[in-house]
Amino acid sequence: MTPSSRWSVGRVLLLLGRLALAVVFLAAAYGKLRPQNAVPWTLASLKITPSSLGLSMTFFAMQVDSYQLLPPRMVSPFAHALPWVELSLGILLLTGFALRYVSLASALLLALFYAVVIRSYALHLAINCGCFGPNEKLDSWTLVRDGCLFALGVAVTIGAFVVHRRNRSAAVAS
Amino acid sequence: MNQHLLRSFTLLCAAGTLLFGAAMFAKPKTAQNSGSSEDWARLSAEKSLGNPNAPIKMIVYDDYECPVCDELYEQTLRPLINDYVASGKVYLIHRDFPLPGHLYSRQAARWVNAAARIGKFETVERAIFDNQMAWSEYGTENPKGIIKPIVQAALTPAEFKRVERLMQGCEGNSQSQIKGCAVDVAIQRDFAEGELLPVRGTPTIVISARGQQYPPMQGAISWPILRQFFDQLLNQK
Repeated sequence: MTPSSRWSVGRVLLLLGRLALAVVFLAAAYGKLRPQNAVPWTLASLKITPSSLGLSMTFFAMQVDSYQLLPPRMVSPFAHALPWVELSLGILLLTGFALRYVSLASALLLALFYAVVIRSYALHLAINCGCFGPNEKLDSWTLVRDGCLFALGVAVTIGAFVVHRRNRSAAVAS
Repeated sequence: MNQHLLRSFTLLCAAGTLLFGAAMFAKPKTAQNSGSSEDWARLSAEKSLGNPNAPIKMIVYDDYECPVCDELYEQTLRPLINDYVASGKVYLIHRDFPLPGHLYSRQAARWVNAAARIGKFETVERAIFDNQMAWSEYGTENPKGIIKPIVQAALTPAEFKRVERLMQGCEGNSQSQIKGCAVDVAIQRDFAEGELLPVRGTPTIVISARGQQYPPMQGAISWPILRQFFDQLLNQK
């Protein structure tokens, strides 16, 4: 493999990683914002109204609360902000805008999720994960999945910085 | 040869469609294996608090020996009972889900169910949770698993005598001992209902309002957060 073809493969891998991460964040946001009493991935679950949105986010606040990590007054603001942060990151990753900073923010958020999941697992908390919507048990599989997502976030961040540096060196050389 | 293959494939597709159709129209699984439904419904009503026509219904699957269930009861359900249940906003339904790993939770559930049969569910449930540390295997006192005096202290002598009579033949957790205990029938039915949801651990909360059920929620939830959700449900147009 020549250096230029290796470089192309690297760029394709970065694109795929970025898109995969975008899908993960968009799915996570959808799982939290959709009407919680509707079956997921149905037309009814896409009917997001202001009233259903409020209920979904308060329902998510109960899941955040079950982690027993935040004081009650912090639970609600956090639960109301997180789905929008995830939605924004998903859209930004999809477009590739400011990729270095967006991927870094994504990796940091995934690191936070991973740490929280490890803590809950270690404390034997029998709770729902709430990561991609309700009724999703937090178990060893969650640990593996969140670990892989964190690794993907780190890989995309490193890739974004490497590509940016190579592009800049190429521009200076020409 | 090709035609033969095509015919086999068509037959296979037809059989698959029929099987799929049969599965779709088959009656959904229900937990009706244990106990008469009327008896269970009657006892279920005894183990519920508030107005059955309240706009919000909340089912709690509990294990009396689980520390998080105790936390949920003391910190969330008590204020809920005193406030939203008392004012007719919430109908609180208790279901037993004694986890097999807990040594004395079934015995505690038996005492509570026996008390429910004489209309003393709330009193005995409170006594069992309030004194969890005294009888639970995680508790500080020895010997463990001594629940009878706690129930006795919570009831009048006449009431206790009636409950004790209902508890005859209710000792141990083995399958044969469960069969010999009349009170266990309702507990088994609660458990089967929970497994259908599915309940994966305790406590598990299921909230429904306006005929719509929300997904089961596992773990302890603090009262201010739960109240916020209830307020939104009540204000929903």
